Amino acid sequence: MSTNTELTKRTEDMVEKRPDLLTVAPAVDIFENDHEILLKADMPGVLKEKIYVNIDNGKLEVSGARHLETKGARNWQEFDDVEYRRVFSVPQTIDVEKVHAELKDGTLELHLPKAESAKPRTIQIS
Amino acid sequence: MWTRISDLDRMFATMDLLRGKMDRLGTGLDRSYGEGSGWRVVGGFPRTNMYDNGDSFQVMAELPGVAKEDLSIRIQGNYLELSGVRKAVVPEGFTAQRVERDSSSFTRSFTLEAEVDADKVEAVLKDGLLTLILPKAESAKPKQISIN
Repeated sequence: MSTNTELTKRTEDMVEKRPDLLTVAPAVDIFENDHEILLKADMPGVLKEKIYVNIDNGKLEVSGARHLETKGARNWQEFDDVEYRRVFSVPQTIDVEKVHAELKDGTLELHLPKAESAKPRTIQIS
Repeated sequence: MWTRISDLDRMFATMDLLRGKMDRLGTGLDRSYGEGSGWRVVGGFPRTNMYDNGDSFQVMAELPGVAKEDLSIRIQGNYLELSGVRKAVVPEGFTAQRVERDSSSFTRSFTLEAEVDADKVEAVLKDGLLTLILPKAESAKPKQISIN
């Protein structure tokens, strides 16, 4: 699903980011019904203000950085500061104006409503 | 014959090293967080961090999509157990197109280096991140010894 095929990172993407921040793709679930596409992405520890969702030219980009607040001596560490980032192709039939997002228990829920013209229609036979 | 086997061994070690490097390349490979050798933790879900602050321990755990009610924390002496259920179900009326987030029940237990005062433990679950502050029991706290 990822369409991130850039060989090198563009420098303008990296302003204000720590260069050593590891970028990983979050695990996602994608659901669909007649009215919308629902995307859920696990981004534990990412604050609401640090999440960035952008839809442009048929591409949906979701990213968010996490900075852990820790002190003291480290006994063990299995996870660290990280940047979640993933790019998806979305159909043109998405009504970009009505897209909305919620963050709940570290899971980002993105609702992508389908445009009226793209919804299934039952044709009556006259 | 034996020389060859050790050569083979060395080759595998080199391959492991290469794979480790590849895992750190990150985004280009279509691989999500939690999958693949580079990010899998032998102990399983959830991943945890542990810090020693002298007077207390700080334990953090990654628990995306786990509600407060579905998580239980047990402490006895220096034994800590995290268990719970993570529900990732298909919402009603929807069909699944892609499923990477597992629905699972989990248990992880730890033996802490010192006993903790179970009554004073603080637990906060926020944005899918659990933070536990576990004050050490009086007898386990560091003490300043004055010299006479």
